[in-house]
Amino acid sequence: MAFWNKDRETAPGEEQVLAVLKKVLDPDLRKDIVSLGFIRNLKIEGSSVRFDLNLTTPACPVRDQMRDQAVELVKALPGVEKVEVNMTSEVRQSPQIDRTALKGVRNIVAVGSGKGGVGKSTIAVNIAASLAAAGARVGLLDGDIYGPTTPIMLGIETAPKSIGNRIVPQLAAGLKFMSMGLLVKTDQPLIWRGPMATKALQQCLFDVDWGELDYLIIDLPPGTGDVHLTLAQAIPLTGAVIVSTPQDVGLRISMKTLRMFQQTRIPILGIVENMSYYICPHCNSRDQLFGEGGGSRAAAELGIPFLGEVPLDMAIRSQSDLGTPIVLAQPEASSSRSLREIAEKVAAQVSIRSYEAPALEVE
Amino acid sequence: MALDARATTPTRIKKLSPGELLLVWADGHETHFPAPVLRRECPCAACRDEMTGARILLPIHVPDDIEFRRIDLVGQYALQFEWTDGHRTGIFSFDFLRELCPCEVCRANSK
Repeated sequence: MAFWNKDRETAPGEEQVLAVLKKVLDPDLRKDIVSLGFIRNLKIEGSSVRFDLNLTTPACPVRDQMRDQAVELVKALPGVEKVEVNMTSEVRQSPQIDRTALKGVRNIVAVGSGKGGVGKSTIAVNIAASLAAAGARVGLLDGDIYGPTTPIMLGIETAPKSIGNRIVPQLAAGLKFMSMGLLVKTDQPLIWRGPMATKALQQCLFDVDWGELDYLIIDLPPGTGDVHLTLAQAIPLTGAVIVSTPQDVGLRISMKTLRMFQQTRIPILGIVENMSYYICPHCNSRDQLFGEGGGSRAAAELGIPFLGEVPLDMAIRSQSDLGTPIVLAQPEASSSRSLREIAEKVAAQVSIRSYEAPALEVE
Repeated sequence: MALDARATTPTRIKKLSPGELLLVWADGHETHFPAPVLRRECPCAACRDEMTGARILLPIHVPDDIEFRRIDLVGQYALQFEWTDGHRTGIFSFDFLRELCPCEVCRANSK
């Protein structure tokens, strides 16, 4: 490099650029972006510096902040006039997963709730669609075998095709998705005992051609039951998101679900509070129908992340009924923004877990 | 005895021989399990009464030369063993395994 730089003595070397970039910290992983290996393809040509900033998720909530900081620091170096940053991402594999049949799936996130009717499926669908819209490869499995709703929310109600003995997941909203609702007619009830439910879930997990996924989101049935236990035993989950309403938190119903996850050593990625407030469609006023701040208080007490609040908004419901998640149909709506921020926080928590969790194996 | 997370989180699970399992815990403690010791503590419904916890499988039913045929992880919270007597329904949570540690220090603490 030295002879190349002879006539441009002021141009910085790679070490100098990396030294200033070391000042940029990833706030979630609490390490600098150089040590984390985020800087790729660093090229210095005369007074212009180019590099890739390779993050752990395309849905990174602080990507712009980290990029701007990196640009500013490098620009401040003597001899640098132009800085080009190419934003890329590569979702890390949870250390536990590759042993199982879900080889191409990097992270599995379950979405659960203490009781039914808190909007768990709506949140799961919108988290999945937001991650996919950010550029991640996402799958959604409706594990609520008794009352599957994702086929309606995604507008696909035809049975999936099979190739050989593998089920081909349906495609909608940028997602690969599978639901028990696609195997039985929607208006027919499923009356199954535990072992049947377990079998059905295993089939949806292991016999579906999920392919390569950054995130597989699993929408759980409410409460704690056979499906939860099967899931906890059959696959190493990256973590779980708990959805509750302010009221449900007050009644401590979601605590049971929380304990179940703790007992089966499934990391809790955080709490989402749904139906936090009501936005009047006529006057846009905001009412806290079920009280205020319950979710964030509970999260703080339990020492788990609070992922955000979602309003009781007619548009969320109507978009679900129309078969297009609101984050895609009305991306600029304030409810969509809340849901997107929650998806980004989930992605950030998953990244943290992928660095923390040690890979266990029987030697 | 309440155990903290580090005491009940294994960092290493190693089958030392067909008859001996080593667990190293996040708090640094090491547990050596002879296969028959674990087989006798099997918590499954066929070996322990589900309601009362009373032993159905008695220690004398388990031969001293029983060995592990397979050791599998269950999710991220437990181990499941298949023994040379064909039994394989017990799920041993990490909490339970740490409680069972047969070393002198742990035995003394639990009394």
